[in-house]
Amino acid sequence: MSVGEIRVAINSDQDIVSARQKGRVVANELGFSSGDATLIATAISELARNIVSYARKGQITIRQVNGLNRRGIAVIADDEGPGIADIRQALRDGFSTSGSLGLGLPGVRRLMDEFEITSQLGKGTTVMVKKWRP
Amino acid sequence: MKSAVRSKPKPHANFEDEYRSSFDEYAGGGGELALGRAYELGRRALNEHKSLVEIASLHHETVLAMVRDAKSEKRTEELIQAGSEFLAECLSPYEMAHRGFQDAVKALRQLNETLEEEIKRIAYAVHDEAGQLLVAVHLALSEMALDLPQPQQGQVTRIRELLNEVEKHLRRYSHELRPTILDDLGWVPAIRFLADGVSKRANIPIRIEASFSGRLPGAIETTLYRIVQEALTNAVKHAEAKNLWIRAWKENLALCCSVRDDGVGFDPNQLQTSPHRKGLGLIAMQERVSAIGGTLRIESRPGNGTELSIRLPLEGNHANSHRTRG
Repeated sequence: MSVGEIRVAINSDQDIVSARQKGRVVANELGFSSGDATLIATAISELARNIVSYARKGQITIRQVNGLNRRGIAVIADDEGPGIADIRQALRDGFSTSGSLGLGLPGVRRLMDEFEITSQLGKGTTVMVKKWRP
Repeated sequence: MKSAVRSKPKPHANFEDEYRSSFDEYAGGGGELALGRAYELGRRALNEHKSLVEIASLHHETVLAMVRDAKSEKRTEELIQAGSEFLAECLSPYEMAHRGFQDAVKALRQLNETLEEEIKRIAYAVHDEAGQLLVAVHLALSEMALDLPQPQQGQVTRIRELLNEVEKHLRRYSHELRPTILDDLGWVPAIRFLADGVSKRANIPIRIEASFSGRLPGAIETTLYRIVQEALTNAVKHAEAKNLWIRAWKENLALCCSVRDDGVGFDPNQLQTSPHRKGLGLIAMQERVSAIGGTLRIESRPGNGTELSIRLPLEGNHANSHRTRG
Protein backbone atom coordinates (compact mmCIF):
# COMPACT_ATOMS: atom_id res chain seq x y z
CA MET A 1 0.00 0.00 0.00
CA SER A 2 1.22 3.44 -0.76
CA VAL A 3 -0.05 6.84 0.16
CA GLY A 4 0.11 9.64 -2.38
CA GLU A 5 1.49 13.05 -1.66
CA ILE A 6 -0.90 15.50 -0.05
CA ARG A 7 -0.43 19.23 -0.13
CA VAL A 8 -2.24 21.73 2.06
CA ALA A 9 -1.88 25.47 1.50
CA ILE A 10 -1.48 27.27 4.84
CA ASN A 11 -2.95 30.76 5.04
CA SER A 12 -5.05 30.74 8.19
CA ASP A 13 -5.89 28.97 11.43
CA GLN A 14 -8.52 27.05 9.51
CA ASP A 15 -5.82 25.56 7.25
CA ILE A 16 -3.92 24.34 10.32
CA VAL A 17 -6.92 22.17 11.16
CA SER A 18 -7.11 20.72 7.67
CA ALA A 19 -3.35 19.95 7.66
CA ARG A 20 -3.75 18.18 11.01
CA GLN A 21 -6.65 16.21 9.64
CA LYS A 22 -4.74 15.11 6.51
CA GLY A 23 -1.74 14.16 8.63
CA ARG A 24 -3.88 12.05 10.91
CA VAL A 25 -5.48 10.23 7.99
CA VAL A 26 -2.08 9.41 6.46
CA ALA A 27 -0.70 8.33 9.86
CA ASN A 28 -3.65 5.99 10.35
CA GLU A 29 -3.33 4.55 6.85
CA LEU A 30 0.35 3.84 7.46
CA GLY A 31 -0.55 1.95 10.62
CA PHE A 32 0.68 4.38 13.29
CA SER A 33 -0.98 3.99 16.70
CA SER A 34 -3.55 6.63 17.62
CA GLY A 35 -1.08 7.99 20.20
CA ASP A 36 1.58 8.45 17.52
CA ALA A 37 -1.04 9.98 15.19
CA THR A 38 -1.76 12.54 17.92
CA LEU A 39 1.94 13.41 18.19
CA ILE A 40 2.18 13.72 14.39
CA ALA A 41 -0.86 16.02 14.36
CA THR A 42 0.77 18.07 17.09
CA ALA A 43 4.02 18.40 15.12
CA ILE A 44 2.01 19.49 12.06
CA SER A 45 0.19 22.07 14.17
CA GLU A 46 3.43 23.55 15.46
CA LEU A 47 4.91 23.74 11.95
CA ALA A 48 1.75 25.23 10.46
CA ARG A 49 1.48 27.68 13.35
CA ASN A 50 5.01 28.86 12.60
CA ILE A 51 4.05 29.45 8.97
CA VAL A 52 0.96 31.46 9.93
CA SER A 53 2.76 33.54 12.54
CA TYR A 54 6.09 34.23 10.80
CA ALA A 55 5.57 33.82 7.04
CA ARG A 56 1.79 34.39 6.84
CA LYS A 57 1.50 31.77 4.09
CA GLY A 58 3.15 28.60 2.90
CA GLN A 59 2.34 24.96 2.50
CA ILE A 60 2.49 21.64 4.29
CA THR A 61 3.23 18.49 2.31
CA ILE A 62 2.56 15.08 3.78
CA ARG A 63 3.83 11.87 2.24
CA GLN A 64 4.92 8.34 2.89
CA VAL A 65 8.64 7.59 3.14
CA ASN A 66 10.20 4.18 2.64
CA GLY A 67 13.36 2.93 4.30
CA LEU A 68 15.07 -0.40 3.76
CA ASN A 69 12.88 -2.35 6.16
CA ARG A 70 10.54 0.27 7.39
CA ARG A 71 8.18 2.97 6.39
CA GLY A 72 7.09 6.20 7.87
CA ILE A 73 5.60 9.61 7.35
CA ALA A 74 7.31 12.78 6.19
CA VAL A 75 5.94 16.26 6.80
CA ILE A 76 7.45 19.16 4.90
CA ALA A 77 6.61 22.72 5.84
CA ASP A 78 7.80 25.39 3.47
CA ASP A 79 7.19 29.06 3.17
CA GLU A 80 8.55 32.10 1.39
CA GLY A 81 8.64 34.16 4.53
CA PRO A 82 11.45 36.26 6.00
CA GLY A 83 13.62 33.21 6.81
CA ILE A 84 15.48 32.49 10.05
CA ALA A 85 18.67 34.44 10.74
CA ASP A 86 20.03 32.12 13.41
CA ILE A 87 18.83 28.54 13.06
CA ARG A 88 20.73 27.30 16.10
CA GLN A 89 19.00 29.89 18.22
CA ALA A 90 15.60 29.01 16.74
CA LEU A 91 16.18 25.41 17.80
CA ARG A 92 17.08 26.34 21.35
CA ASP A 93 14.34 26.14 23.96
CA GLY A 94 12.78 29.37 25.07
CA PHE A 95 13.73 31.36 21.98
CA SER A 96 10.51 30.95 20.06
CA THR A 97 7.84 33.51 20.71
CA SER A 98 5.79 30.80 22.41
CA GLY A 99 8.19 31.17 25.32
CA SER A 100 7.32 27.86 26.93
CA LEU A 101 9.96 25.20 27.26
CA GLY A 102 9.65 22.52 24.63
CA LEU A 103 7.11 24.14 22.28
CA GLY A 104 7.81 25.37 18.75
CA LEU A 105 10.62 23.94 16.61
CA PRO A 106 12.54 22.29 19.48
CA GLY A 107 9.31 20.52 20.46
CA VAL A 108 8.70 19.31 16.91
CA ARG A 109 12.23 17.92 16.82
CA ARG A 110 11.57 15.91 19.98
CA LEU A 111 8.26 14.51 18.75
CA MET A 112 9.65 13.22 15.46
CA ASP A 113 12.55 10.88 14.58
CA GLU A 114 14.25 13.05 11.99
CA PHE A 115 14.42 16.79 11.59
CA GLU A 116 15.97 18.91 8.85
CA ILE A 117 15.77 22.64 8.42
CA THR A 118 17.03 24.99 5.74
CA SER A 119 16.41 28.69 5.68
CA GLN A 120 17.57 31.67 3.68
CA LEU A 121 17.06 35.21 4.84
CA GLY A 122 14.47 36.91 2.66
CA LYS A 123 13.75 33.70 0.75
CA GLY A 124 11.98 31.42 3.15
CA THR A 125 12.25 28.34 5.34
CA THR A 126 11.79 24.61 4.77
CA VAL A 127 11.44 22.14 7.60
CA MET A 128 11.27 18.42 6.90
CA VAL A 129 10.44 15.96 9.66
CA LYS A 130 10.01 12.20 9.55
CA LYS A 131 8.62 9.65 11.90
CA TRP A 132 9.19 5.95 11.34
CA ARG A 133 6.69 3.32 12.24
CA PRO A 134 7.89 1.29 15.19
CA MET B 1 -27.51 21.67 31.29
CA LYS B 2 -26.68 24.50 28.98
CA SER B 3 -27.02 23.82 25.32
CA ALA B 4 -23.83 23.31 23.33
CA VAL B 5 -21.96 26.42 22.29
CA ARG B 6 -21.09 26.08 18.63
CA SER B 7 -19.61 29.46 17.97
CA LYS B 8 -15.85 29.90 18.15
CA PRO B 9 -14.94 30.63 21.77
CA LYS B 10 -13.57 34.04 22.65
CA PRO B 11 -9.78 33.97 22.92
CA HIS B 12 -9.78 34.83 26.60
CA ALA B 13 -12.82 32.90 27.66
CA ASN B 14 -12.55 31.03 30.93
CA PHE B 15 -10.37 27.95 30.39
CA GLU B 16 -12.75 25.53 32.10
CA ASP B 17 -15.76 26.79 30.09
CA GLU B 18 -13.84 26.58 26.88
CA TYR B 19 -12.73 23.03 27.69
CA ARG B 20 -16.32 21.98 28.34
CA SER B 21 -17.72 23.60 25.21
CA SER B 22 -14.93 22.26 22.99
CA PHE B 23 -15.41 18.74 24.28
CA ASP B 24 -19.14 19.07 23.83
CA GLU B 25 -18.42 20.02 20.25
CA TYR B 26 -16.10 17.05 19.72
CA ALA B 27 -18.56 14.60 21.25
CA GLY B 28 -21.21 16.03 18.92
CA GLY B 29 -19.14 15.16 15.84
CA GLY B 30 -16.91 18.24 15.77
CA GLY B 31 -14.02 16.24 14.28
CA GLU B 32 -10.58 17.68 13.63
CA LEU B 33 -11.69 21.26 14.27
CA ALA B 34 -12.56 20.35 17.85
CA LEU B 35 -9.37 18.28 18.25
CA GLY B 36 -7.38 21.25 17.02
CA ARG B 37 -9.06 23.27 19.70
CA ALA B 38 -8.13 20.64 22.31
CA TYR B 39 -4.51 21.02 21.27
CA GLU B 40 -4.74 24.84 21.46
CA LEU B 41 -6.28 24.47 24.92
CA GLY B 42 -3.39 22.28 26.00
CA ARG B 43 -0.94 24.88 24.73
CA ARG B 44 -2.79 27.59 26.59
CA ALA B 45 -2.91 25.49 29.79
CA LEU B 46 0.85 25.02 29.56
CA ASN B 47 1.43 28.75 29.19
CA GLU B 48 -0.94 29.48 32.08
CA HIS B 49 0.94 26.93 34.24
CA LYS B 50 -2.04 24.70 34.77
CA SER B 51 -1.13 21.41 36.39
CA LEU B 52 -1.82 18.07 34.75
CA VAL B 53 -3.82 17.07 37.80
CA GLU B 54 -6.10 20.10 37.33
CA ILE B 55 -6.66 19.17 33.69
CA ALA B 56 -7.31 15.53 34.54
CA SER B 57 -9.97 16.43 37.07
CA LEU B 58 -11.56 19.03 34.80
CA HIS B 59 -11.69 16.40 32.08
CA HIS B 60 -13.16 13.82 34.42
CA GLU B 61 -15.91 16.20 35.56
CA THR B 62 -16.67 17.22 31.97
CA VAL B 63 -17.04 13.65 30.70
CA LEU B 64 -18.93 12.51 33.78
CA ALA B 65 -21.51 15.31 33.43
CA MET B 66 -22.19 14.27 29.84
CA VAL B 67 -22.30 10.55 30.66
CA ARG B 68 -24.96 11.25 33.29
CA ASP B 69 -27.15 12.77 30.58
CA ALA B 70 -26.46 10.01 28.06
CA LYS B 71 -29.60 8.35 26.76
CA SER B 72 -28.10 4.96 25.92
CA GLU B 73 -25.24 2.64 26.75
CA LYS B 74 -23.92 3.10 23.23
CA ARG B 75 -23.80 6.87 23.72
CA THR B 76 -21.91 6.38 26.99
CA GLU B 77 -19.32 4.28 25.20
CA GLU B 78 -18.98 6.89 22.47
CA LEU B 79 -18.49 9.63 25.05
CA ILE B 80 -15.78 7.70 26.85
CA GLN B 81 -13.98 7.00 23.58
CA ALA B 82 -14.29 10.64 22.48
CA GLY B 83 -13.09 11.68 25.95
CA SER B 84 -9.84 9.78 25.70
CA GLU B 85 -9.17 11.11 22.19
CA PHE B 86 -9.86 14.68 23.25
CA LEU B 87 -7.73 14.42 26.38
CA ALA B 88 -4.77 12.93 24.46
CA GLU B 89 -4.91 15.87 22.05
CA CYS B 90 -5.04 18.39 24.87
CA LEU B 91 -2.08 16.76 26.62
CA SER B 92 0.17 16.58 23.55
CA PRO B 93 1.76 20.00 24.24
CA TYR B 94 2.59 18.67 27.71
CA GLU B 95 4.27 15.70 26.04
CA MET B 96 6.48 18.15 24.12
CA ALA B 97 7.30 20.06 27.29
CA HIS B 98 7.96 16.82 29.16
CA ARG B 99 10.48 15.73 26.54
CA GLY B 100 12.04 19.17 26.78
CA PHE B 101 12.43 18.82 30.55
CA GLN B 102 13.97 15.38 30.15
CA ASP B 103 16.55 16.85 27.79
CA ALA B 104 17.17 19.77 30.13
CA VAL B 105 17.74 17.49 33.12
CA LYS B 106 20.12 15.36 31.05
CA ALA B 107 22.06 18.49 30.07
CA LEU B 108 22.17 19.61 33.70
CA ARG B 109 23.58 16.25 34.81
CA GLN B 110 26.19 16.40 32.09
CA LEU B 111 27.11 19.91 33.15
CA ASN B 112 27.60 18.75 36.73
CA GLU B 113 29.80 15.90 35.54
CA THR B 114 31.90 18.30 33.47
CA LEU B 115 32.19 20.54 36.49
CA GLU B 116 33.39 17.66 38.65
CA GLU B 117 36.00 16.80 36.03
CA GLU B 118 37.16 20.41 36.01
CA ILE B 119 37.39 20.46 39.79
CA LYS B 120 39.45 17.26 39.69
CA ARG B 121 41.80 18.90 37.23
CA ILE B 122 42.21 21.99 39.42
CA ALA B 123 42.70 19.87 42.53
CA TYR B 124 45.42 17.96 40.73
CA ALA B 125 47.09 21.19 39.57
CA VAL B 126 47.05 22.63 43.10
CA HIS B 127 48.28 19.45 44.75
CA ASP B 128 50.78 18.00 42.33
CA GLU B 129 51.99 20.83 40.14
CA ALA B 130 52.12 23.57 42.78
CA GLY B 131 53.54 20.99 45.21
CA GLN B 132 56.40 20.18 42.84
CA LEU B 133 57.21 23.87 42.39
CA LEU B 134 57.39 24.26 46.15
CA VAL B 135 59.85 21.37 46.38
CA ALA B 136 62.01 23.14 43.79
CA VAL B 137 61.87 26.38 45.82
CA HIS B 138 62.90 24.42 48.93
CA LEU B 139 65.91 22.97 47.16
CA ALA B 140 66.96 26.33 45.73
CA LEU B 141 66.69 27.94 49.17
CA SER B 142 68.77 25.31 50.93
CA GLU B 143 71.43 25.57 48.25
CA MET B 144 71.48 29.35 48.65
CA ALA B 145 71.61 29.08 52.45
CA LEU B 146 74.91 27.13 52.28
CA ASP B 147 76.75 30.30 51.13
CA LEU B 148 75.08 32.63 53.63
CA PRO B 149 76.38 33.81 57.00
CA GLN B 150 74.68 32.46 60.16
CA PRO B 151 72.04 35.23 60.82
CA GLN B 152 70.69 35.06 57.24
CA GLN B 153 70.61 31.26 57.45
CA GLY B 154 68.15 31.61 60.32
CA GLN B 155 65.97 33.82 58.10
CA VAL B 156 66.03 31.24 55.33
CA THR B 157 64.94 28.58 57.82
CA ARG B 158 61.96 30.76 58.80
CA ILE B 159 61.03 31.19 55.12
CA ARG B 160 61.23 27.43 54.67
CA GLU B 161 58.92 26.93 57.65
CA LEU B 162 56.42 29.31 56.05
CA LEU B 163 56.73 27.40 52.78
CA ASN B 164 55.90 24.19 54.68
CA GLU B 165 52.76 25.88 55.96
CA VAL B 166 51.81 26.93 52.41
CA GLU B 167 52.30 23.37 51.24
CA LYS B 168 50.17 21.99 54.06
CA HIS B 169 47.35 24.40 53.18
CA LEU B 170 47.56 23.65 49.46
CA ARG B 171 47.35 19.94 50.19
CA ARG B 172 44.38 20.48 52.48
CA TYR B 173 42.50 22.66 49.96
CA SER B 174 43.17 20.29 47.12
CA HIS B 175 41.77 17.38 49.15
CA GLU B 176 38.69 19.38 50.03
CA LEU B 177 38.21 20.42 46.41
CA ARG B 178 38.17 16.83 45.26
CA PRO B 179 38.69 14.56 48.21
CA THR B 180 40.17 11.24 47.21
CA ILE B 181 38.53 9.99 50.41
CA LEU B 182 35.13 10.54 48.76
CA ASP B 183 36.06 8.22 45.91
CA ASP B 184 37.91 5.69 48.05
CA LEU B 185 36.02 5.53 51.34
CA GLY B 186 32.69 7.26 50.72
CA TRP B 187 30.64 10.15 51.96
CA VAL B 188 30.81 9.80 55.75
CA PRO B 189 34.63 9.71 56.03
CA ALA B 190 34.89 12.51 53.44
CA ILE B 191 32.51 14.72 55.41
CA ARG B 192 34.42 14.01 58.63
CA PHE B 193 37.62 15.09 56.90
CA LEU B 194 35.98 18.23 55.47
CA ALA B 195 34.32 19.18 58.77
CA ASP B 196 37.58 18.65 60.63
CA GLY B 197 39.35 21.13 58.34
CA VAL B 198 36.60 23.74 58.46
CA SER B 199 36.25 23.38 62.20
CA LYS B 200 39.98 23.98 62.78
CA ARG B 201 40.17 26.95 60.39
CA ALA B 202 37.06 28.70 61.67
CA ASN B 203 37.39 27.56 65.28
CA ILE B 204 33.79 26.30 65.40
CA PRO B 205 32.87 22.87 66.76
CA ILE B 206 31.05 20.69 64.20
CA ARG B 207 29.15 17.62 65.36
CA ILE B 208 28.45 14.85 62.89
CA GLU B 209 25.81 12.20 63.33
CA ALA B 210 25.43 9.64 60.53
CA SER B 211 23.16 6.68 61.13
CA PHE B 212 24.33 4.67 58.18
CA SER B 213 27.59 3.38 56.86
CA GLY B 214 28.81 1.99 53.58
CA ARG B 215 28.67 3.46 50.13
CA LEU B 216 25.94 5.46 48.38
CA PRO B 217 25.39 5.80 44.64
CA GLY B 218 28.17 7.94 43.12
CA ALA B 219 25.96 10.86 42.02
CA ILE B 220 24.47 11.11 45.52
CA GLU B 221 27.83 11.07 47.27
CA THR B 222 29.19 13.86 45.06
CA THR B 223 26.04 16.01 45.24
CA LEU B 224 25.71 15.63 48.99
CA TYR B 225 29.37 16.42 49.52
CA ARG B 226 29.13 19.61 47.44
CA ILE B 227 25.96 20.77 49.20
CA VAL B 228 27.37 20.24 52.68
CA GLN B 229 30.58 21.94 51.62
CA GLU B 230 28.63 25.00 50.41
CA ALA B 231 26.46 24.97 53.53
CA LEU B 232 29.51 24.91 55.82
CA THR B 233 31.12 27.74 53.86
CA ASN B 234 27.94 29.82 54.16
CA ALA B 235 27.62 29.11 57.88
CA VAL B 236 31.22 30.16 58.54
CA LYS B 237 31.21 33.19 56.23
CA HIS B 238 27.79 34.71 56.85
CA ALA B 239 26.07 33.11 59.84
CA GLU B 240 28.55 33.90 62.67
CA ALA B 241 27.69 30.43 63.97
CA LYS B 242 29.03 29.18 67.31
CA ASN B 243 28.09 25.56 66.67
CA LEU B 244 27.37 23.42 63.62
CA TRP B 245 25.56 20.13 63.37
CA ILE B 246 25.49 17.72 60.43
CA ARG B 247 23.04 14.82 60.45
CA ALA B 248 22.49 12.17 57.82
CA TRP B 249 20.12 9.22 57.79
CA LYS B 250 18.26 6.90 55.45
CA GLU B 251 14.49 7.12 55.29
CA ASN B 252 12.42 4.78 53.14
CA LEU B 253 13.96 5.14 49.69
CA ALA B 254 15.68 8.43 50.30
CA LEU B 255 18.81 9.74 51.87
CA CYS B 256 18.27 12.70 54.18
CA CYS B 257 20.80 15.16 55.46
CA SER B 258 20.58 18.34 57.47
CA VAL B 259 23.12 21.03 58.22
CA ARG B 260 22.18 23.30 61.12
CA ASP B 261 23.83 26.28 62.77
CA ASP B 262 23.05 28.59 65.69
CA GLY B 263 24.11 31.74 63.86
CA VAL B 264 22.37 35.00 63.02
CA GLY B 265 19.90 33.48 60.54
CA PHE B 266 18.13 35.37 57.78
CA ASP B 267 14.78 35.78 56.09
CA PRO B 268 14.63 33.13 53.33
CA ASN B 269 11.90 35.05 51.46
CA GLN B 270 14.12 38.07 51.10
CA LEU B 271 16.95 35.90 49.82
CA GLN B 272 14.86 34.44 47.02
CA THR B 273 13.86 37.83 45.65
CA SER B 274 17.13 39.72 45.86
CA PRO B 275 19.88 38.75 43.44
CA HIS B 276 22.32 38.56 46.32
CA ARG B 277 25.69 36.86 46.22
CA LYS B 278 24.54 34.45 48.93
CA GLY B 279 21.43 33.65 46.90
CA LEU B 280 23.47 32.49 43.94
CA GLY B 281 25.12 29.78 46.03
CA LEU B 282 21.72 28.57 47.11
CA ILE B 283 20.42 28.51 43.54
CA ALA B 284 23.42 26.43 42.50
CA MET B 285 22.71 24.03 45.40
CA GLN B 286 19.07 23.80 44.37
CA GLU B 287 20.04 22.98 40.79
CA ARG B 288 22.47 20.28 41.83
CA VAL B 289 19.80 18.67 43.97
CA SER B 290 17.05 18.84 41.34
CA ALA B 291 19.35 17.33 38.72
CA ILE B 292 19.15 14.05 40.62
CA GLY B 293 15.50 14.44 41.58
CA GLY B 294 15.99 15.57 45.16
CA THR B 295 14.58 18.40 47.24
CA LEU B 296 16.28 21.09 49.28
CA ARG B 297 14.65 23.17 52.01
CA ILE B 298 15.99 26.08 53.98
CA GLU B 299 14.55 27.13 57.29
CA SER B 300 15.85 30.24 58.92
CA ARG B 301 14.75 33.21 60.94
CA PRO B 302 16.77 36.28 61.86
CA GLY B 303 18.43 35.51 65.21
CA ASN B 304 17.41 31.85 65.18
CA GLY B 305 20.02 30.02 63.15
CA THR B 306 19.62 28.21 59.86
CA GLU B 307 18.81 24.66 58.91
CA LEU B 308 19.32 23.23 55.46
CA SER B 309 17.52 19.95 54.76
CA ILE B 310 18.23 17.79 51.75
CA ARG B 311 16.38 14.72 50.60
CA LEU B 312 17.76 12.67 47.73
CA PRO B 313 15.94 9.67 46.23
CA LEU B 314 18.06 6.51 46.26
CA GLU B 315 15.86 4.98 43.62
CA GLY B 316 16.92 5.70 40.05
CA ASN B 317 20.33 6.95 41.11
CA HIS B 318 21.71 3.46 41.67
CA ALA B 319 22.64 3.02 38.05
CA ASN B 320 25.49 5.49 38.45
CA SER B 321 28.53 3.47 39.31
CA HIS B 322 31.26 4.82 41.49
CA ARG B 323 33.82 6.93 39.80
CA THR B 324 37.34 5.72 39.90
CA ARG B 325 40.11 8.10 40.59
CA GLY B 326 41.86 9.43 37.58
